[in-house]
Amino acid sequence: MQVIENLKVKEKAYIEKLENGLTIIVIPKQDTQKKYAIFGTNFGSIDNNFVVPGNTKPTKIPDGVAHFLEHKLFEQENGTNSLDVLSALGVDANAYTTNDHTAYLFEATDNFNEALDELMNYVQNPYFTDENVEKEKGIIGQEINMYEDEPSWQVYMNAMKLMYKENPINVDIAGTIESISKINKETLYEVYNTFYNLSNMLLVVCGDFVPEEIIKEIKNRITKNDTQIEIQRIYPNEQEEIVKKEETKIMEVNNPIFEIGFKDKLCEKKDMVKKHIAIEIILYMLLGKSSKTYKKLYEQGDIMSQPDLDYEFSKQYAHVLISGIARNPQNVVKELKTAIEEYKKCGLNEEDFNRIKKKIYGDYITEYNDVSNIARMFLADYFKGINSFDYLEEYSQVSLQYANQILKDVFKEEKMVVSIVKGA
Amino acid sequence: MEYKNKEIKEGINLHMIQTNNFKTNLLSVFLTTPLLRETVTKEALIGSVIRRGSKNMPSTEQISKNLEEMYGASFDCGIEKIGDNHVLKFYLEAINDEFLPQEENILKKAIDTLLEIVFEPLSENGEFKQEYVKTEKENLKQIIEGKIDNKAKYAQDRCIEEMYKDKPYGLYKFGYVEDLEKITSKELYEYYKKMLKECKIDIFISGKIDTTKTKQIIETNETITNIQGRKILINKGQNLENVKNPEIIEEKLEVTQGKLVLGLNIENTNLDEKYIAMVYNTILGGGANSKLFQNVREKASLAYTAGSSYIRQKDNIIIRCGIEIANYSKALEIIKKQIEDMKKGEFTQKDLDNAKQNIISAIKFIPDEQDTQITYYFGQVIAGSEVSLEEYIKRIERITKEQIIELAKKVNINIIYFLTQK
Repeated sequence: MQVIENLKVKEKAYIEKLENGLTIIVIPKQDTQKKYAIFGTNFGSIDNNFVVPGNTKPTKIPDGVAHFLEHKLFEQENGTNSLDVLSALGVDANAYTTNDHTAYLFEATDNFNEALDELMNYVQNPYFTDENVEKEKGIIGQEINMYEDEPSWQVYMNAMKLMYKENPINVDIAGTIESISKINKETLYEVYNTFYNLSNMLLVVCGDFVPEEIIKEIKNRITKNDTQIEIQRIYPNEQEEIVKKEETKIMEVNNPIFEIGFKDKLCEKKDMVKKHIAIEIILYMLLGKSSKTYKKLYEQGDIMSQPDLDYEFSKQYAHVLISGIARNPQNVVKELKTAIEEYKKCGLNEEDFNRIKKKIYGDYITEYNDVSNIARMFLADYFKGINSFDYLEEYSQVSLQYANQILKDVFKEEKMVVSIVKGA
Repeated sequence: MEYKNKEIKEGINLHMIQTNNFKTNLLSVFLTTPLLRETVTKEALIGSVIRRGSKNMPSTEQISKNLEEMYGASFDCGIEKIGDNHVLKFYLEAINDEFLPQEENILKKAIDTLLEIVFEPLSENGEFKQEYVKTEKENLKQIIEGKIDNKAKYAQDRCIEEMYKDKPYGLYKFGYVEDLEKITSKELYEYYKKMLKECKIDIFISGKIDTTKTKQIIETNETITNIQGRKILINKGQNLENVKNPEIIEEKLEVTQGKLVLGLNIENTNLDEKYIAMVYNTILGGGANSKLFQNVREKASLAYTAGSSYIRQKDNIIIRCGIEIANYSKALEIIKKQIEDMKKGEFTQKDLDNAKQNIISAIKFIPDEQDTQITYYFGQVIAGSEVSLEEYIKRIERITKEQIIELAKKVNINIIYFLTQK
């Protein structure tokens, strides 16, 4: 077992890799009653083309399979639904699918071991039938329609389509009503047997645990007998250029919303965290509440709150996202471009840089307020090849000079896209 | 975790929650006034104007810079209806001194900063800065008009509005455009000064704090020393009566999915029955085991969202489903059947146990969620009761099936609201 400690936030993580390939991370938190467990696989919506171990030819699956499988995994052979069973235990259970992973989770105060029984049992034992697969199409169809009515999701999806030509990140995680109609139980089993191999999975628990004891509890609940496999995933060659600069969608909204993206090159693993920190600092310097540009846009009445500032990345994609509400999104684009050019010319202001760096430090510490947030963060970071403590460790290495370099490398006008949703 | 509530002056209370569970200290100030058409818009506007600047931090930029220097302390404000009360909420979250890279006393700084923002807003010649008020009026107008942008939320708000037509609880918490236009910065400033003299004030401080020292910081704060006590009244308001035939309202917007919302009323409930109503709601539409989720979603495959929530102060249950428009009648029929089945006692002991277990878990989560903690204790204050978490759990545990059936008989559909395609 590997133990890593972070002295700044005063927490420890215990990492154990089992012989069957499963990785377990335990983050003990004394004083809390809440316990959290999350069981995930490194399989998300973009993993739609792969070679099933033993086969020679690749398998291409319809859009939305990872998410569909997430819905169906709860169904059990004895007729019960694990979500109901977990609810009956009084634990708060859920699951979600992202572009690069799928996760099953619960949080509990009582009945943790019983809930762990259920979680580990249903994730390891799929039960798909023609009938239960058909039934789910109506429910997921309504989930897709719900997102159709959500302007913020539409503006996000359009930004992806503007940036990515081939990468399946440009398709809705849930797929379309048409694409999910092609899913059957055979598709689900094939995908399950490939990606739900323990060597492709991670289990994180956070709460008042003794690491050795909880790892033993987890080991006792492993029933799958997997041999470790190497999954060959096939991703299309994505061009470095964007697809199109701009897209506006008309919906019935009063306030226009925007999503500005900068398509970025994939980053080497060793630089990922440092780069992420630098980009966060730059984003707050550009459009954070204390910035000149925010002040100007606010006073002009163009924006009424700080846009969301994000850097999204995995092993297969990387991009900056700036999103929010604006009376006239074009003014935001214009001012943002001016601010970037000015910083490129004169360099980032040192005083502002140091102050924002302090802010980012506080943000990272605050991430450790809640057991559920800690566990989800460790899981998501792990699938990117990152240990979450790295953010606090590498923080001090981000210099002004490095940030200036990142600004030049990432915030390029030719890599910028603008997606807008507004009223007619 | 230890909770202490102390009256500093009449109508002004300091609530301290001593806890080791967080990396941050969370501070908040709640200002509570009666919910009225005449003042609702002004109060919403005050919330926005205040964050623009204070006596020593005259701009958003200055406030933000100060917060960033405190290792990214964050300031937030919100506005909420709690029963027939309008509550302006101001929060400041800052990391605990223990986790700073060097020794500093952030807690005192954080408390002083929050109190300054709330109680000493920037003024010029006896009014709010005109320029700020002008921009914030525009922004608030956008917020009010943007109500339709989130269709699912809009449908819920509209259902409540129709149910409480011409009554305080039917008011939109952000106010009204026609009232907004008339407000001047002088009038707004004078109203705020009056409000600060008369409203109920609650200050919450949660975190790894020394309660004696913290109390001292508050009591020696200049703003707090200068402020006077006041007689306050929590607006109890009036609840609805059951109607014989539910009102049916259909509204058309550009939507792909129909949003069906039912407003249920529970007539004449006493304090004890509120606990029963919570359990009732959980069985009906509280989660994955609930009747609505099971029957509308899992069995009939009609929806992705299907559930209900209970508004404790008003004794209403709001049912919401997102459905295919053509399935309106089918979905409505299934929903009505669930309500009828509750009256007939057609739910099992297991359903009841599950529901209680769910609520109890949620209560047990409270000590590990800093903002929920504050919301819980404030809710107790507004309800005029002081029930500890342990006592709360006991009250849920002892609820019986018979009590649920008795309550179910008083549950009535007052309104059926459907948001559909143009």
